[in-house]
Amino acid sequence: MIEIKNVYKNFGSLKVLKAVSLTIQKGEKVAIIGPSGSGKSTLLRCMNLLEEPTYGEVWLDGKLVTPVDPYLHPDIIAESKTFKKLLAQAKEASPKASEKALAEEIIARIKKEDLLKKHEGSSFAQKSRALYKENIIPINLARRRMGMVFQNVNLFNNMNVLENLITAPVSLKLKTKEEATETALRLLDRIGLKEKVNEYPSKLSGGQRQRIAIVRSLCMSPEYMLFDEPTSALDPEMVGEVLELMKELALDGMTMAIVTHEMGFAREVATRVVFMDGGQIAEEGTPEEIFGAPKNERLKDFLSKVL
Amino acid sequence: MLQGLENTAIIAVAGLVLGFVIGCLLATFKLLPGKKFWARLPGRFTDLYVALFRGTPMVVQLLILHFVLFPALGVDIPSVAEAVLAFGMNSGAYVSEIMRGGILSVDKGQTEAGRAIGFGYGRTMLKIVLPQAVKNVIPTLGNEFVALVKETSVVSFIAVIDLTKAFQNIGNSTYEYIVPYLMLAAIYLVIVLGITGLVKLAERRLRAGDRN
Repeated sequence: MIEIKNVYKNFGSLKVLKAVSLTIQKGEKVAIIGPSGSGKSTLLRCMNLLEEPTYGEVWLDGKLVTPVDPYLHPDIIAESKTFKKLLAQAKEASPKASEKALAEEIIARIKKEDLLKKHEGSSFAQKSRALYKENIIPINLARRRMGMVFQNVNLFNNMNVLENLITAPVSLKLKTKEEATETALRLLDRIGLKEKVNEYPSKLSGGQRQRIAIVRSLCMSPEYMLFDEPTSALDPEMVGEVLELMKELALDGMTMAIVTHEMGFAREVATRVVFMDGGQIAEEGTPEEIFGAPKNERLKDFLSKVL
Repeated sequence: MLQGLENTAIIAVAGLVLGFVIGCLLATFKLLPGKKFWARLPGRFTDLYVALFRGTPMVVQLLILHFVLFPALGVDIPSVAEAVLAFGMNSGAYVSEIMRGGILSVDKGQTEAGRAIGFGYGRTMLKIVLPQAVKNVIPTLGNEFVALVKETSVVSFIAVIDLTKAFQNIGNSTYEYIVPYLMLAAIYLVIVLGITGLVKLAERRLRAGDRN
């Protein structure tokens, strides 16, 4: 499960994401659509921290991905005396409020006023470091579990196809060279490009390159795949083969987040569609809801232009 | 004379290798991501290093190393090794700027793809960006190597017999200058042409993966 909680992203004075929250469950295929400049690519890139959120958190299967001061980690705050004391006080003050809401309020306050550093002793500092290690996931480990496919493909130009596919699993010691080669050849065979195994990326067509880029991610056996407009830079005749491969992946049960302008594909493959506008999620729902009965005015306007 | 040729070759080749390694490291330092003070520190070091080694003459650096720094530190190594160090460190300053240009010329997407697949910054540099950067700067690096070979002629300042010194000695002992000095020039020319050929060969090999 990928959870994006209240993420903001600024590029200088430009506010690209404003308080975006989104949860992607295992097995879901989430299509993210919207006009250009709406922040959909940035949102996707925040998931694997190619863009670091200015504020907010990204969680992967219950572990924090975004870097944070140990004292600002919610699980650590919840362990502190300060938190327990404040929660007890808050409960007394408003016994009817739900504990979860109160806890969230207090965590926010502790973060804002940096109360732990002021009130907790050195034994808590030690404990918090240990807790922190258990509750975060280092970014490079998180990225191995989230494959990413780029708009401009980005195959490694200094390597041939096979090297592109096996270099990551082999040099990160996840697989032996033989195992990785076997996996790579099997996947290449599946997309019908086995004979290109020794070619360099510059000799391949755009569609072939993008399909190999997808396979490169698959060679890491990821649990999630992030697609950043994978067909936008391709010649129209090559779009089909890439979408076809993505559809196969979806049928295999891969969890996918797809930023796309291919509305037909989104409608057919996605289990949920997210419409972004002006750095916020303006509407989300099933493909039927979004394409069949849009409520948001901007969404209606957008769909009337692209469909 | 053969001794002189050997010394020139050792200093030039070892100096270039050392300079290349130092240069790659410095360029990587300079391009480290991150805005915090600590993350910026290696980049500042590069700036200082380049300013110092590019801002003073090679001969002066050689003299300081031989007559000031090593005696003060009590280091006693052969003069040829000293020359290698001096030329390597000097060349490193130039190579770092060349490599920085090379690294910047590699598409940012290559770094992103490396990071996105789970490589750290160092591994991304080593496996993906630097090989492409080197390919892009081979002609400029060749230039630097040629300059280095010719500049080794100043090592006689610290009593190393190189090609130039050897021919000077021949001239001084025979009182015949025309033939030795013209021969000397011819030998340098042959060496440099040889290097140019090698650089072209390397370039062709490295471009094998490119279009056409």
